[in-house]
Formats: sequence, structure tokens, C-alpha cells
Amino acid sequence: MIFVLCGVSLVVFYLARGFPSGIDPVTPYIHQRMTAEQIEEVRRIHGFDQPIYVQFFYWLRDALRGDFGITGAWANSRPAMDVFLSAFPLTIQLSSAAIILTVAIGIPLGIISAIKNNKLPDHISRIIALTGYSTPSYWFGFILQLVFFYYFLLWGLPHFPSSGASGMEAAVPWVTGMPVLDGLLAGNLEYALDALAHLILPAFSLAFISLGFLARIVRASMLEVLRQDYITLARSKGLKERVVIYRHAMKNALIPAVTLTGIFFAMLLGGAMITEQVFNWPGVGRLSLRAVFQGDSNFLLVYTLALAVIVVVANLIVDIAYVFLDPRIKY
Amino acid sequence: MKSDGVRASKARTGEWAARWADFKYTLYLLRRNPLVLVGSLLALVFIILSLTANYFVDPSLARPTGYPEFGGNYPFQRSYVWSKGHFINWGPGVKLWDGPEFFYLGTDGWGRDLLKMIILALPVDMENAVIITLLGALFGTLLGTLAGYAGGIIDEGILRVTDIFFAFPGLVLALVFAAMFGRTIPTLRLAIVLVWWPPYVRLMRGQILSEKEKSYVEAVRALGAGYPKNFSVIQECHNVISNKIVALGAGRLKFLMNSFLLLSQRVVNGVLDHLVLLGMHLRILFRHIFPNSIYPTLVQATLDFGGSILTFSALMFLGFSPSPSLPELGNLAADGYSHVFDAPWLIVFPGLVMLIIALAFNLVGDGLRDILDPKLRR
Repeated sequence: MIFVLCGVSLVVFYLARGFPSGIDPVTPYIHQRMTAEQIEEVRRIHGFDQPIYVQFFYWLRDALRGDFGITGAWANSRPAMDVFLSAFPLTIQLSSAAIILTVAIGIPLGIISAIKNNKLPDHISRIIALTGYSTPSYWFGFILQLVFFYYFLLWGLPHFPSSGASGMEAAVPWVTGMPVLDGLLAGNLEYALDALAHLILPAFSLAFISLGFLARIVRASMLEVLRQDYITLARSKGLKERVVIYRHAMKNALIPAVTLTGIFFAMLLGGAMITEQVFNWPGVGRLSLRAVFQGDSNFLLVYTLALAVIVVVANLIVDIAYVFLDPRIKY
Repeated sequence: MKSDGVRASKARTGEWAARWADFKYTLYLLRRNPLVLVGSLLALVFIILSLTANYFVDPSLARPTGYPEFGGNYPFQRSYVWSKGHFINWGPGVKLWDGPEFFYLGTDGWGRDLLKMIILALPVDMENAVIITLLGALFGTLLGTLAGYAGGIIDEGILRVTDIFFAFPGLVLALVFAAMFGRTIPTLRLAIVLVWWPPYVRLMRGQILSEKEKSYVEAVRALGAGYPKNFSVIQECHNVISNKIVALGAGRLKFLMNSFLLLSQRVVNGVLDHLVLLGMHLRILFRHIFPNSIYPTLVQATLDFGGSILTFSALMFLGFSPSPSLPELGNLAADGYSHVFDAPWLIVFPGLVMLIIALAFNLVGDGLRDILDPKLRR
């Protein structure tokens, strides 16, 4: 794992800094009225004139202390890590809501599909699942906005808000950074509900992609499990089909789905970038896009590295959880 | 000798007959699954359409023309629907424009017919998808094959590198790459290939690992697969090399030269032998193991085909488009980004076409998985 993290930071750093055609690392530190000599001076002070591997070790040293440099004027030159941390809870809120939706819809869909293999419910669930991962996510976001915000508004129906994470002024103290949780913690139900209404469309648009993926995996492993001898035994004991499926088959069928949580998390965090852009969600994905177009490699490095670390840690946790879930596996 | 040949050819016709029967059974399974059939027909239609798009539509139409008084932009072709006291702009194909043409899907911000732009975009998108999928699958498959067959430190090294690339959320790495190397179509393709290959490594490695332990591999190895039929050829080579070297060394600095030459002779012969050994490995690998383990990769590639179009268009949408007037499905949709509410067709139809293409290929891939999987097959 340490090796992977080292490799990740090396790859990211070389991609972001190692190419003269790319973003100039000095960009966040300068402003328009600086002369060329002053810019060179700044470059020298920050060590951007050194060879790339020297820069890497300087950067790694600072990064291990939690210092990733500052962002440019687009984020008021705050430290890159602070900017990231202030927006990250929003992305987490979005991704967790999407995960909950994915699990709540994807698993039943997969199970139905497996039980009614090659019958009409299977075909319907297959179409839903495949449509899910064939949909351009930004397009789906727009369609949701168009229908549930714009047309519902025009037709005078209750509509969902189209953008932002919460429409009200932050009347609650900043505890977790997630508006829904903060509102609940402060006992401000109105605020929490408003934040929830803002959350639903983006979360559904994000979940729609991974939902089909999960459904297909659950279906495949459920079909595999249903062919096992112990299921035949359970049936021949005279157990009800419902009991066989939900008590006996489901537990084992869900193990492969659990092991893929890491990949899902990666998918959702990466996909969140698009959803955030569509719904103007003030999370880290949208900030990273701004960073790209403002030529800010400091924030880009924090963002990429943090996401990679999260994915690696999530995979580790899944590996550990696997031992508890599946008694057949021992390390 | 003759009877041998006859027997071999008979065995071959038997083999072909068996393959034909297998193929027919596959077709039967395909027929039984209507969704797969629909998917393959749709995919076929899109492939043909993308190959012939330039005959239907004049490619020069993609060049943006427009009235300078609109800032180079043409006004949208709009149609109005009365709804609860509001005008909303919806309903493509309604003729309000008194020009010579009838626009089925309306026009875009450059005054171009959206339907024609979508047709022109098909070859671009298909080409992207083919290149991305091919490069990614090829690279990943080769690495996976190497890792699985070689084992040991090579396996370990390749797996660790793959792990590094697995740790990134897909789009993020492509984004960084695209940001660094500029906005051209080849760069964007490469950016996606960069995140496209790791799954193939794992898939292929797993397949090769399980396949190489099977008894048929041992059998072909025992039968001497990949070795020359008789070793006299190799012996001949050795002899020729020895003679050449001895002829070179004759009559000159005899002792020193000869010992050096003998050494080099041994090296050359050793290399030759290793080449023979490599030939054996390559033959077993590519003649026997590879064909038996390629199916999951093919299925994965089919499933990824639509995904590559979606990912490419997502990059376009995120702002890495090389030029705003390029007819590419993602670019067309991104062009409608600022007009979601007043000209929704700009984003609805390109996205819908993308969805249908990806769905078609996913249906094919999903069906192929069921059909080719020996466990689900019978």
C-alpha cells in the first residue's frame, strides 16, 4: 500500500509538473503586475527552476507535513489543503447519498433479475441497468434539471432546485460541512430539508451510472449462488422460496458486490466531478476544474492525491472486511 | 504418408464441422435473446452509418458560417409551445423558419442542421472509440499475458504498476493528462487510453493464470509444441556458425583468437537455443493458452466501447474541446450547455444518440458474456 501511494504521488507529480507544455507551477504565486524579473525571483524562491526530481522531493517533504502550497487568486490564495478540506464534505455528502441510492436500487434490481432469469422482469431490469451505464452522466443531469426543475416550475408543480448545495443562508454552525447533517445536528429541520431537496437530483444523476453496474454484478453472483448445492438442499427441505433467497442465497451473493465498493467509490468520486459541474455543486470536483483552467497545479495535486489515497484506503478496508464477511477466507 | 495427410485433412474437416456447429449454436442462443439481437442490429446500423456518413452529408457543412450581425451566431431554429401561460421552446421539426430547408432536429448556435451534425459526428466518435478500445485492450492484454505467464518478479512489478493506475478515479487522471498536453483529439484519446488499460491487465492475468495450470497445456508441452520438428536444423545452424568462426580464426593469432572465438560461438549457440525456447513459449502461449482466455477480454472490450465514447464526450463537456464547432457528440452537447432551458434540443438529441450507441454495444457485450460463458451456456 505504501508502495502504491508512493507510485501514485510520483505519477501525479510528474504528470502535473514534469512537462514544459503543461501548467506552469509558478502561476498561483504571481499576479499580472509582476515584472519578468520578479517572476523569475518567485520561481527561484519556490525551487521551480530545479530539476524535476529535486522538486519532487521538496514537494513530498512539504506534502507529508500537510503543506501543499497556496491556490491562486481564484480561491483567494488560501492554502490548497484548506480549500480542499472546506469543499470536500460536500463531495462526500453527494457521493454517500449516491452510494445509498445505488445500493437501495441496484441490489433489488440485480436480485429480481437473477430470480426471473431470462424472463420479462430480467429483461426490464437488464434494460434499466444497461441504460444506466450507457448514459452520459452530464446529459442525464441536464435532463433531470430540465424536467424536475424547469418544466415542473412551468407547470406549477412542486419542483426540485437545480443548482447549489443549499438555497438558504447558512444559519447553522459548521460542524461536518455537510448541509444535511449540519442542519439535523443544529435541530434546524427546515434547513436540512432544503439541503436534502438540493441533494436529490445530483445524487440520483450520479447514482444512475453505478446502479446498473451493481445490478449486473449482483445478478451474476446470484445466478452463481443459486446453482449451488446448498440452495437445492434448502429448497428440498421445503423452505419457502423467499426464505431461500433472502436468508440463504443473498448473503453469499452480496460478497462480490461488497468487494467492489472500492471501485464504486472511485467511480462515484471521479464521476462527481461531472455532476458537480452540471448542478453547480460547490464540491472539490468543480474546484479542480477551475484549478485546471486557472493553471493551478497545487490544487490539482491535492485533489488527485487525496482521491487516490481515499480509494486505496477504501480498498484496504474492503480487504479487511472481506475476512469478516466470508469465513472461508483466511490470511 | 498419404494416409497421414488424408487423416489430417479429415480431422480438420471434422474440426471445422464442430466449429460450425458451435457457431450455429451460438447463433441460436443469440436468436433466443431478443435484446442482444436488437443491440447488435443497432450497433451494425451505427457502424454502417458512421462509415457512410460523408456520403449522406457534405462534411463542409460542419464549418461554422453565420451572420456577422449575430456575432457569428445564427439564431436558433425555434418552435414555440404554449404551456400554462408561458412560451417554452420545444418541438424540433416544426417549420417556423422560412428558409429553403426543413430542420428535423432544429439548428444549433452556428446555424447548422443538428441532424446533419449528429450524422457527421458519428465517424469521429466511432473512430475515437475504436482507437481507445483497441489501444487500451491491446496494451492491457499484452501486459496481463506477460504477467500471468511469466510470473515471479515480472508479475509482481506489472501488478504493482497496475495498482497505481487503479487508485485514480478514472476521469481524474485523464483530466490531468489532458490539461498538461493540450486540447487536441489525439491527446484526449491518449488521456483516456491512460486510464483504460488497467482492467484488461487484471482480467487477462487471471485468465492466463487459471488456464496455464490446465492439463492440456502440460500435454502440448509434453508433445513438444514449439520445438522444431527435428533438431537437425538447429544442429545445422550450430555447425555453420562453428565453421564460420573456425574459418575466421584460422592462421592468425591462433590461441588467443581461437579461445575468444570459441567463447563467442558458445554465446551465439546459447542465444540460438534460447530463441528456440522462446519460440516454444510463444507458441504455447499464443497458439494454445491465448485463444482459450481471450473471450472475457473481448466481452470487456465490447462493453467498454460505449464507455469510451461517453468518457471522451465527458472530457469534451468538461471544457477540453479542441474547437467549439467540431462535430462530435459530446461537443455538440457541450455546445448546448449554456442553452439548456431555451434550446433543450441542442443537448437532448446528441446525448440521446450517445446513449443509443453505448446501449447498443453494451447489449451486445452483455449478451456475449452470457453466450460465451461456458457455465451459463448449457
